[in-house]
Amino acid sequence: MSEALQFAQTTLQEVALVFMAVVYMLRLRWIFKRFPAAKERQGSTGNPDTNPRKGFLYSWAIIGMPWVMESSRTKPIMYGMFVIFHIGVVVAIAESFIIPYAPGFLAANPWLGTFIQVSCTAACLVGVLRFIRRVSDKGMRAISSPDDYFSLLLLTVWFAFAALAGTNDASGGEGFLLTYFWMTAFFLVYVPFSKISHYLYYPITRYYFGKSMGNRGTYPIVKSVPGYVKTAGE
Amino acid sequence: MSTQTRSHKATKVLERLTKKVNRQIAGTMLACVHCGQCTDSCHYVQTNPGDETFIPAWKADRVRKLFKRHMDWTGRVIPWWVKASSVYTDEELEELRDIVFGKCTNCRRCSINCPMGVDFASMNRMARGLLVSVGIMPEGVSVVSKDQWEIGNQMGVLKEDYLDTLEWMEEELQEELEDPTLKIPVDKEDCEIVYTINPREAKYDPRSISDAAKIFHVAGESWTMPSEGWDMTNFGLFSGDDDLGGAVAKRVYEAVERLNGKTLVMSECGHGYRSTRCEGPNWSQTDLSFKAESSVDTMLRYIKERRIKVDKSKNDFSVTFHDSCNNARSCGLFEEPRELLRLVVADFREMYPNRAENYCCTGGGGAMSMSEYTPQRLKSAKVKADQLIATGADKVVTSCHNCVDGLNDCIKHYKVGMEVTQLVNLVADALIIEPAKTTVVVEEVPAAASAPVVEEKAAAAARPLTGRKILVIDDEPDVCTFLSTVLEDNGAQVLTAADGDTGLALARSEKPDLVTLDLNMPGKDGGQVYEAMRADDELKELNVVIVSGKPELRGLIYDKDVRKPEGYLDKPVSEETLLTSVRKILEVGEDNVN
Repeated sequence: MSEALQFAQTTLQEVALVFMAVVYMLRLRWIFKRFPAAKERQGSTGNPDTNPRKGFLYSWAIIGMPWVMESSRTKPIMYGMFVIFHIGVVVAIAESFIIPYAPGFLAANPWLGTFIQVSCTAACLVGVLRFIRRVSDKGMRAISSPDDYFSLLLLTVWFAFAALAGTNDASGGEGFLLTYFWMTAFFLVYVPFSKISHYLYYPITRYYFGKSMGNRGTYPIVKSVPGYVKTAGE
Repeated sequence: MSTQTRSHKATKVLERLTKKVNRQIAGTMLACVHCGQCTDSCHYVQTNPGDETFIPAWKADRVRKLFKRHMDWTGRVIPWWVKASSVYTDEELEELRDIVFGKCTNCRRCSINCPMGVDFASMNRMARGLLVSVGIMPEGVSVVSKDQWEIGNQMGVLKEDYLDTLEWMEEELQEELEDPTLKIPVDKEDCEIVYTINPREAKYDPRSISDAAKIFHVAGESWTMPSEGWDMTNFGLFSGDDDLGGAVAKRVYEAVERLNGKTLVMSECGHGYRSTRCEGPNWSQTDLSFKAESSVDTMLRYIKERRIKVDKSKNDFSVTFHDSCNNARSCGLFEEPRELLRLVVADFREMYPNRAENYCCTGGGGAMSMSEYTPQRLKSAKVKADQLIATGADKVVTSCHNCVDGLNDCIKHYKVGMEVTQLVNLVADALIIEPAKTTVVVEEVPAAASAPVVEEKAAAAARPLTGRKILVIDDEPDVCTFLSTVLEDNGAQVLTAADGDTGLALARSEKPDLVTLDLNMPGKDGGQVYEAMRADDELKELNVVIVSGKPELRGLIYDKDVRKPEGYLDKPVSEETLLTSVRKILEVGEDNVN
């Protein structure tokens, strides 16, 4: 392994990780100190079987329940793409730890390399589809910022290199590995300032929204039951 | 940061923004990933395909860009990268007004469909509040807020008119149930229930008050209505003005405490229920010392406790139910109204979608008071019209006065051919009233004298408007004929005018007791005629009932800073509605004729 790759895999990643952690700490401090939470005094309403605690737990879990929200229930392909994309994120992040810190494990389990390659390739393809949707759909274009395009593009390319580097095989050259780790480092530095850090906010928004909706008996979501359909004779 | 000059109002909005954002709103500002999942959930989007300015995320970004530009890191350093920007002029604030008031009813349908938990409706409400704080708002919002601040209720109903209406309804009910001891108690202390209403009931729909009173009476309830703090609606919810919200909610809470009531019962009003039951304690920083519930819960409890008996065969028509966004999505009132409906109607049909996924009546969020946005509101109502039509029901029931108006507009605009009613009306109609519940007083009249008296009373009751002069101003001959016939059949002397100028001249020369006024007329429109009447010393005290089939013209009357009309009727108007309204305004009871 070259010194450059050694540096990219370890020191560079560690510095980038520390940077990200520091920025996130400051970010969380900003959110919790700068913005006090509004106190809710109202008594509970609605279904007595639910409460604020159930509400926020349900709210946190809602992303894993595609049958709950109409927006995911009626768009199974979009939801499937979301799942593939985010599995790709988890796998690509895990890869950045496995390769430098547990290369033996990867070598001893060739299926793992294949799994990394398959999931990151699938995520990359979803990234391409998402990018096409964002560029071609008028409504999506209207709500997109340069950060939205760049973040999606960054992740999609990163998935590609994560797939190529997935087996940690430098026999054909270190190019893929080097690119993957430099991109990972850039990703870590850029993320706290971009929309990609939405995972930091997800627990916060979902906690408060779920707590309130739980208190008011709206969470768990009370879905539609089938409606009456009038017959031809009516 | 740009050195561009900023208007005073823009400066104030930005100053307030930094103070108003709490953690919940900050999360909503930060968490949106622009995934577009909320897009289809909005009824405005569905009826305006291709117009991206209705997309919830787009609308939210008009507010979010300010937060990003002034409070968030990336937006402060490289604003263009995250589409952050500021506001500088009053015109920009007015554009924002047209978005937050005109393109969103705060129905929260997008909020429950956002994977990230972004509560756009709450953020939109906050943005409304920022604009209201610098006086930028639709005219109707300004007028209604002013009435609620100054008069104590959002329709500017004076205390004496409110009390008169209660007295009138009490008399009607005594007559209907043949029980002269029946009361609509006002300011009675130590009651179980303090009943509060929507001022629309006192002004345009007094039957809902008498229906509620009938139910309380038959249930043997100890109840009262307050003479102050009786309006449980709260325009603070719509205007985003927390100060107004807190003050109005507090008036109601203080009324209950003053009367030492055990339970505050709110009549069927979605935003009133949400404001008073859910948001009011937060806005007013008050912890309630009494129980608070919707009248839907109260009526259901009466049936379950067998305090009232109902016969569903009395309501032998098909009904569907519209979930008010504020009652359902924001307060969890889903099953109670349905349970009650099934007990009082023979044929109940769900519309689809329903419960938390139902669509707004399209008149929510104060939209009914913003006449400048009526065309786009009615366009968006297509979604609701389709929902209604699919059920084939005769009537649509809702537990919200605002929805009643929104649905009526929708039904009229799309010619759905459906009636709108509320649970209180259906329960009252289904009541089984046992003789023991009423006291029938029989006067002993000498046989010889009784016959002429009875005949005279019967004749008076048959022509209750005898001696009254009514001017009908309407350019549609059919409507003119209908209104004249009904009023003349009931004893009134009727004058007609087909245009505004003739109407004004007749009003000056004939001094009628009441004028019915159409809004859409050639030449001088109804709004101009109305304004001229109110500005004329001779005519300003005239009783005026607007009779219009064009809800989008309401602004001609309600956006003006003049005394509101005594009544408002939607065309087509039924004989019963017309007579009830006219008799109420002229204070003419069944046996109270000149």
